[in-house]
Formats: sequence, C-alpha cells, structure tokens
Amino acid sequence: MSLLSERLGWIVFEAETKRLHELVKAVLPELDGIVGWEQGFDALHATPVFVNREEDVHRLMWSPLCVHNLSGYLVKTPPFLPRDEGRKVGICVKGCDSRSLVALEQEKFLGRDRLHIFGIPCEGTVDWRRVMKKIPLRGVSSVRREGPELKVEDSRGVHSLPWEESLARRCLRCAHPNPLVHDVLVRDPVEPRIKKDEAYGLVEEMDQKSLEERLAFWSAELDRCIRCYACRNACPLCVCQDRCIVETRDPKWLTQKMGISEKFMFHMIHSLHLAGRCTECGECERVCPMEIPVTLMKEKLNQITREILGYEAGIDSQLVPPLLTFNPGEHEL
Amino acid sequence: MRIGVFVCQCGTNIASTVDTDAVAQKTLMLPDVVYSTSYMYTCSEPGQKEIQQAIAEHGLQGVVVAACSPRMHEPTFRRAVEKAGLNRYMFEMANIREHVSWIGTDREANTRKACDLVEMAVAKLRYNQPLFSSKVPIHKKVLVIGGGVAGIQAALDCAEGGLDVVLVEKKTTIGGRMAQLDKTFPTVDCSSCILGPKMVDVSQKENITLLASSEVENISGYVGNFKVDVRKKATYVDWSACTGCGACIEKCPSRKVPDSFNEELGNARAINIPFPQAIPKKAAIRREYCLHFTKGKCGVCKKICPVDAVDYEMQDEILTEDVGAIIVATGYDLFDHSVYGEYGGGRYPDVISGLQYERILSASGPYGGHIKRPSDGKEPRDIVFVACVGSRDASVDRPYCSGICCMYIAKQAILTKDHVPGSNSYVFYMDIRSPGKNYDEFVRRAQEEYGVQYIRGRVGKIYPRGDRMVVQGADTLLGMQVEVEADLVVLATGVESASGSRELAEKLRISYDQYGFYMESHPKLRPVETNTAGVYLAGVCQGPKDIPASVAQGSAAAAKVQALFSRDTIETNPQVALVNERSCISCGKCIQVCPYGAIQWKELRGGERKAEVLPSVCQGCGLCNATCPCKAIQLLHATDNQILAEVNELFG
Ligand SMILES: Cc1cc2nc3c(=O)[nH]c(=O)nc-3n(C[C@H](O)[C@H](O)[C@H](O)COP(=O)(O)OP(=O)(O)OC[C@H]3O[C@@H](n4cnc5c(N)ncnc54)[C@H](O)[C@@H]3O)c2cc1C
Ligand code: SF4
Ligand code: SF4
Ligand code: SF4
Ligand code: SF4
Repeated sequence: MSLLSERLGWIVFEAETKRLHELVKAVLPELDGIVGWEQGFDALHATPVFVNREEDVHRLMWSPLCVHNLSGYLVKTPPFLPRDEGRKVGICVKGCDSRSLVALEQEKFLGRDRLHIFGIPCEGTVDWRRVMKKIPLRGVSSVRREGPELKVEDSRGVHSLPWEESLARRCLRCAHPNPLVHDVLVRDPVEPRIKKDEAYGLVEEMDQKSLEERLAFWSAELDRCIRCYACRNACPLCVCQDRCIVETRDPKWLTQKMGISEKFMFHMIHSLHLAGRCTECGECERVCPMEIPVTLMKEKLNQITREILGYEAGIDSQLVPPLLTFNPGEHEL
Repeated sequence: MRIGVFVCQCGTNIASTVDTDAVAQKTLMLPDVVYSTSYMYTCSEPGQKEIQQAIAEHGLQGVVVAACSPRMHEPTFRRAVEKAGLNRYMFEMANIREHVSWIGTDREANTRKACDLVEMAVAKLRYNQPLFSSKVPIHKKVLVIGGGVAGIQAALDCAEGGLDVVLVEKKTTIGGRMAQLDKTFPTVDCSSCILGPKMVDVSQKENITLLASSEVENISGYVGNFKVDVRKKATYVDWSACTGCGACIEKCPSRKVPDSFNEELGNARAINIPFPQAIPKKAAIRREYCLHFTKGKCGVCKKICPVDAVDYEMQDEILTEDVGAIIVATGYDLFDHSVYGEYGGGRYPDVISGLQYERILSASGPYGGHIKRPSDGKEPRDIVFVACVGSRDASVDRPYCSGICCMYIAKQAILTKDHVPGSNSYVFYMDIRSPGKNYDEFVRRAQEEYGVQYIRGRVGKIYPRGDRMVVQGADTLLGMQVEVEADLVVLATGVESASGSRELAEKLRISYDQYGFYMESHPKLRPVETNTAGVYLAGVCQGPKDIPASVAQGSAAAAKVQALFSRDTIETNPQVALVNERSCISCGKCIQVCPYGAIQWKELRGGERKAEVLPSVCQGCGLCNATCPCKAIQLLHATDNQILAEVNELFG
C-alpha cells in the first residue's frame, strides 16, 4: 500500500488518520458501520464515506478538508442507525459537529447509547472557495499545512496562503473546537480560537447599520437565493425533510411565485425554526451555491437567545431548549 | 361557497363614522359573495331574521357579520345561522365597531378599514369547515379550596343543593380570618357565634368531605372532569382516633411555640388545637417545635393520649379526587407593617396590627378578652388607630384600598370604649370609606356616641417616650402637626393576596393581577367566573372585601356550580388541535409544549409513533401549532390556511 501521505497529497495529519484507523479497527465488529470522510475528487476536497468492512477502513481520513457535518445522516431518510437494540453505529465528529449530536439528543432524535463517537479536536477547516478566490487553482495535486501557511500544489506549481486566511468563517468564530461528546478522542484537545462572547462580532457589526442598510444588504443577498434548499437539506436539525412547510401545499405557506418575498419568507421560516436550536455548525452557509451568509441570520437569533434566556444550543444534553417548553412563570419575556 | 355579508350600523354606533352601505356594496364584488346588505341592528330579532331569510333565499353556505366584537355577539349569530340550517362554524365576524368606528373619526379611512376587515373575514370563511362538538359527562362533585367564610358558604350551598363537596383547607381547622375576629361590623355581633354554626354544619353535612391540613398539589383535566391531587400533610395525630380532648396539649413540654392563631401574642404548644371551636377539633404537631423531632426525645403526648392517636411516623398522603367544578376561596394575608421604619419597623411591642387587636378583644384570645398592652400587661387608656398601613400607598406597591379597615377601626374603637369606659380613642385616617348598608351610620356612631376622635392625616412617625408611644402626624383639616401620646397603637394593616396564591393560580390556570388577587372573567358581568371554564372565585382571594360580600360571592359561586351541574353532559369546544398524521414527523415537540398535557403518542400499526390530541383536554391555546415545525398539527377554526388567507387578503 502506498504511503498515506502520498496517496492523499496530505502530510501533516497523517498521525491522526492512522490513529483513527486503529481506533475504528478496534471496535468495528461491534458497530453496524461508521460514517466518516475520505479523499474526494481532488486534494482540496474530502467526501463522506460509510464503512462497515475492515478492508475499507483505510479509506477513512482526517484533515482540515473534512468539512462536512455528518450528524445529519443519523436522522435524515434513510437514517444511518443501528439495526438492532444494543448495537451502535460509529460517527466521526469535529467540535462543531458534536454539538449537533447533543442538540439531536436533546430533542430525542438520537439516543447517545446507540452511537460510538470518534471525536476529533479541530484546528479549523479549510474553505476551498476562499482558497480558490485568493489563488485560482487548476488540477490540485496536493495540499498541506506548513506551520502558519497553507501550501497548495497544482498544475502550475506550489502556492502558499496564510493558514488563517484559508479557514471557513464558522471556524474563525468557533469556541468549541473540541468535541463535547465522544467515546474516544483521535488527538489531544486544542486551544479554542475565541471565547463564546466574541463569536457575535459580525452580528454586532450588522446591528450598527441602519434599518435601511440592513434591508438593502439582505435584499441583495437573498435576491440571489435560487431556493435550491441545499441549506435546509444540509442542516442536521432540519428534520422535517419532505414535510417541510416551504414545500407542502397544505398548509400553504409559500408559493412558487418568483421574487424576493417568497425567498425572504423561506429564510425567516428556516431561521425561526432554528431559533434556540441552531448550533452554528455553519453547514447551511457552507453548502449554499450562491454564497449567501445564511448562518448569520441564525447567529442573530442565537445571540438573542443567549441574552434573554441565557441558553446555548447543543451544549448540555439534559437541558430542554427554551422554545420547547412552556413555563407560565416566565413573566420577564 | 355562497357567502352572505351583513354589515351592521349598530344604530349610529357604527354608521356615524363608517359608510356601511358602501362596505356592503364593495363586498358584493368579492368572489363567492352572493348577497350583502347593511342593517340598523343586525343583532335584533328582525336583524337575525333577515340573515335567516337570506340563507334560505340565496342558498348561503357561509355568513359574515360585520358588527361589534365577537365577544359580544358571536354566540348570538352562531345560534341564528344554526337555526337556519348552517353549521355554526360557517360563520365569521368582522369587528368594525371596537376596532373601527369607535377608535377613528375619519369616515373615509374607517370605511376602507371596515372593507379590509370584511374582506379578511370572507377570505377566512372560504376555508371554514363545519365543526361538531361532542358531549362528555359531568362529574357532579365540586372542590372548594379554602375554608374561610366564603369557602364555607360555598360548600354549604352546594351541599344543600345535593352536590358532593370536597373542602380543602391548608390549616388544621376551617374558619379562616373570621374565626380570629372578635365582633363584626356593622352589627357588632360575636364572630364565632355566627360563624360557629356554619362550621359545625360543614362537619355534619354528609356530602361534604373536609380535608383540613391539606393543599392542592396538582390539577389536570377540564370543566366537568378535573382530576385533583390533594396533599394531606402529616399532622402526626391519627384524626380518626383523636377526640380533641386536649390532654396532650396540657402536658406538652415545648411551650415557646408562637401562637399563630393569636397572631403571635402569647405561646402555644408544639401539639395544639388552635381554638376551642375548631373544626375539625383535632390536635396536630408542629414538627419544627416538637422535641421528639428536634431533639429525638420526649414522647409525652404519645404516652398521655388516652386513645393512642399520636403517630410520629405519619407521612404526607396524596389523595386523588375527580370533580366537575372548582371554587377557589383562599382568602388573604395581611401586610407586614415592619417595612415601615417610621412606625418602628415592628420593634415596639405596643404597636400592633388590627388583627392582633381583634385577638386581644376576643374572650378566647391571649388575654381572656381584657384589653392589655403586650409590653407590660397594663390596661391602656389612650389608644391610637392608624388607617391605611400598607393600603393606598404606592411607595410600598400597595396602591389599592383594602376596603375593610375604616370599618373595623370604627368597630374596634367602639369595642374599646365598651371594654374600658374611661379610655380615649384616636383615629388617623385619609378618607373614610363606608359605603355599605348601615356602614356610614356605624362610623358616625363611633364618632358621635362613642366620642372617638378622628384626625384626618397621615402618621409620619411613631416612637417611644417613657413607657408610652408618641404618634406624630399631620392634621390636614386644621393644617397643623399633631402629636398624640398613646399607651397602645393599632395599625390597620392592609389586605394582601394569600401566600402561595400565584402558585395555586398556575395550577388552576387562572389569571391573577400584579398583587396576586385572582382575576374574574369580567369585572361587572362575570364577577365569580374565571377565564378557565369550571373554576369560580369567592371571597377575598378575588379582591379585598368584607364578610357580607364574601358570603354573597360564596353563594354566587355555588349557584354557578349548581347551574353547570344541572345538565348531565357538557358540549366540548370543537376548536381544538388536530394532527395530520401524514405530515407529522414524530418530533414530539407539541407534546413537550402543550401546557394542558393534551397531546400523547399514538402507535400506528407499523410501530411508528404519531402525535395525537385528546380533544376533550385541549384548550385550543395553539402553542402546539406554533411549535410544530411542519405544521402537521392545526388548530381547527384557526388553521394556518385560514390565518394565511386573512394575511394574504390584507397584504396580497
Ligand atoms: C382586623 C380585621 C377585622 C375585620 N373585621 C371585620 C368585620 O368586623 N366585619 C366584616 O364583615 N369583615 C371583617 N374583616 C374582613 C374579613 O376578615 C374578611 O372579609 C373575611 O374573612 C374573608 O373571608 P374569606 O373566606 O374570603 O378569606 P379567609 O378568611 O382568609 O379564608 C381563607 C381560607 O383559605 C385557606 N387557604 C388559603 N390558601 C389556601 C390554599 N392554597 N389551600 C387551601 N386553603 C387555603 C386559609 O387558611 C383560610 O382558612 C376584618 C378583617 C380584619 C383583618
Ligand atoms: S442552521 Fe445552519 S448553522 Fe445552524 S445547525 Fe443548521 S446548518 Fe448548522
Ligand atoms: S442554499 Fe443558498 S440558494 Fe439554496 S436555498 Fe439556501 S440560501 Fe438559497
Ligand atoms: S392547542 Fe395544542 S398546545 Fe394548546 S391545549 Fe390544544 S393540544 Fe395543547
Ligand atoms: S410537533 Fe408536529 S411534527 Fe412534531 S410530533 Fe407534534 S404534530 Fe408531529
């Protein structure tokens, strides 16, 4: 077998990937399968993979290109869950992804005892679109991190970019890089980049704008929405799927009418359904083909939830999300 | 759908600022509207006839009336369309009076708004569906919470009418505040002489179950079918054996127990019966003072009891009762005057509350009915009464009038003169409030026959001088400061909601005001009903009042229950939530938020679970619908489609 690093074009995270393979092999017989990531169509892309045979374990990998939050696979049709009582499935999670698992457990969509969680402390994931914008790449053959730099090799040679400038927005505002739930950790915990209080900088910046400016901003952004619903489909907490009210006819909340009002309405519904539930994993924004900052709307609602209710989603599986309780004593609201 | 629109002029109430004819004409242009007219008084009999005729002549399938608030006349019109053969839910009302004609004078704008509201009603009506109520049997048993005079009256009246009554009282005896009073205004008859027989009646009526030393723990269900859990608190005395002989009390060595029945004047024992006429007359141990519980030794009462009723192992018990209606009569507490630093902050033994003075006056009180001052037991000669202590004072968040103090001060001043003929009584007051029958005459008697000196003004300060108290205040009629030296100062402390009133209201799901008094359904027209069907109010728990008013309300609440129970079944409200199982994603969120516990899981044949609403428990609050992400759960008669139709009509 070729050296992992050669095959992946990836050097620095070889140790973690090896460790992951060992850990998976040790428990695979007890699992009904495991979902993780493998190399994608080029060195800049990873892709989700389901593994249930020992000979496929080598396909699993860990690198900052493992951008996907895999927890949605556990709840969306067909759910990737153990077939029998007492069995488990395995899942690889970063810090942010682990919060989705907590949130899903809080809402009783998942039982912790059905999962074997491989937790991966994360130093940030690379936003390939951000990289491509800085360096127009063609035929990427290898990507690696060398200290403070990201090195990318393509048909035209080796390019470098400051590491921080290659990271996704969600990662730059991440206060929970270490998985909050896990059965095993694949590497040692890392230092969080920021404290939670510092996570809402962009929201505060938006709040500084006048109402007209904000309306103009969101009108311009949402006007680009093509209602592909990728944001919704990627969200691990958007569990309604084909019963989602933006597509049902009864009740008829949205029409097929063109124009911004229906798009606006869709995003309001999406955001409000996630109020106090969204864990800010940033998947909705990552998958948007039109590069609309859709997580930002949820960040605003979460900031409000934090301020008024002192609650943060996906932290404690024993807590009940505030909008899922009715307490007549809450006079201050 | 064939829709008819009836625009009411309400005499000139609506017609003066809304062009009702124009509204009628404009709505005739709406799709599905086949008939429309305006009429002088649509709610009058001829007005209703006109609707019924139009239904017949034009084959109407739905009716919109644009008139007053549906709270006024929706039931009227629903009945009217029902008589003409339509389902009562094929009717909508647009409020163009309270929402339009009464709040704006611009005729043109008003007419436009009225048209909008009618259009919205029509838009909604297109989505209306006939709904049908079902009938559920009534549990003809009533729960009365609180055994003061109001609760006693309610219980007796219900029992008299043949109903089974459960009376829950948190103390070990019924009687409430009235049992603590000496005499009662305006007739000055002995309180326990008139209350006693009623209390005895309660214990003797076979259809009254008295649960003293008990509190309501939990309430579920709905009108006609409440399920109530009652916590019977451990008294450590087996009441089925206890004869109330009092031998245990005499021998109990724990003698420094504050006597709460005597308002902390004097001491009681750890095992106690609060007063001779107590009902039930049973002993109870206060654990926190009992040497057996605090020191682990003693056991005297257990040894002495001739019937071996003392049981230190007794535990709280939970009883469950099924009842069809609930009367709440939990009474009141009194303002704690120690918050007024200028009145001594509760430090001076000879500055006492009005209720303490009642106990002093009472022959069964701590001093055997002789007026003495608590500090040294001397008979006072000069007595000052201070009105409005913790009433009508926004600075202590008590802006309301307690309603009874002016009267009981006059009573207490009269009684003082009777007890101590040479004494002088002074009353500092703000206004005299004596609007009841023979009340003003009573106050005048105090002033004119009994020589009580009334000084109009607030008391600024009370402080000791030698062994007397100095009361400093303003006489606003003379425009000067006055100072009265007194042997005893009686503060007429105001009425407050009973402790725990808010918690109980949450259990009952009734509303309360900012001071904790329970809200009646309408201040004038529904004074004993609450907004929760089947729950009624009596006595001071609803607001300060005296004994005659409390008794009247007790009887009124009983009459309401009798009327409710005169039927065998009640019709359920079909405006409840309903789950569309095909869209339900089984997330369970609705189950979590429903405040009435009206939603449960239903297992389908394949083992799949779906939410299911119990229509008889659902109160139609709509929380589930707001929470359901895929809107699989809909509130009938206020479905998403109906509301969206209205919104789209307005903005579309
Ligand atoms: C000093 C003074 C003198 C007065 N003199 C007169 C007078 O001369 N004439 C007159 O007409 N009025 C007089 N009043 C007013 C009179 O006391 C009240 O109008 C009357 O007692 C009200 O009766 P009630 O049943 O509403 O309340 P209460 O007498 O307070 O009875 C309420 C009962 O409910 C019980 N309770 C409370 N909470 C609960 C619960 N959660 N569960 C179960 N039980 C509960 C309490 O223990 C109590 O037994 C006087 C008041 C005061 C303070
Ligand atoms: S709304 Fe976006 S950021 Fe929030 S949980 Fe869903 S995908 Fe993640
Ligand atoms: S992914 Fe982007 S384009 Fe697609 S629906 Fe969401 S916001 Fe619109
Ligand atoms: S409307 Fe829904 S939440 Fe409200 S009582 Fe009915 S079932 Fe419960
Ligand atoms: S909230 Fe809606 S989807 Fe969820 S269980 Fe209830 S009815 Fe079903």
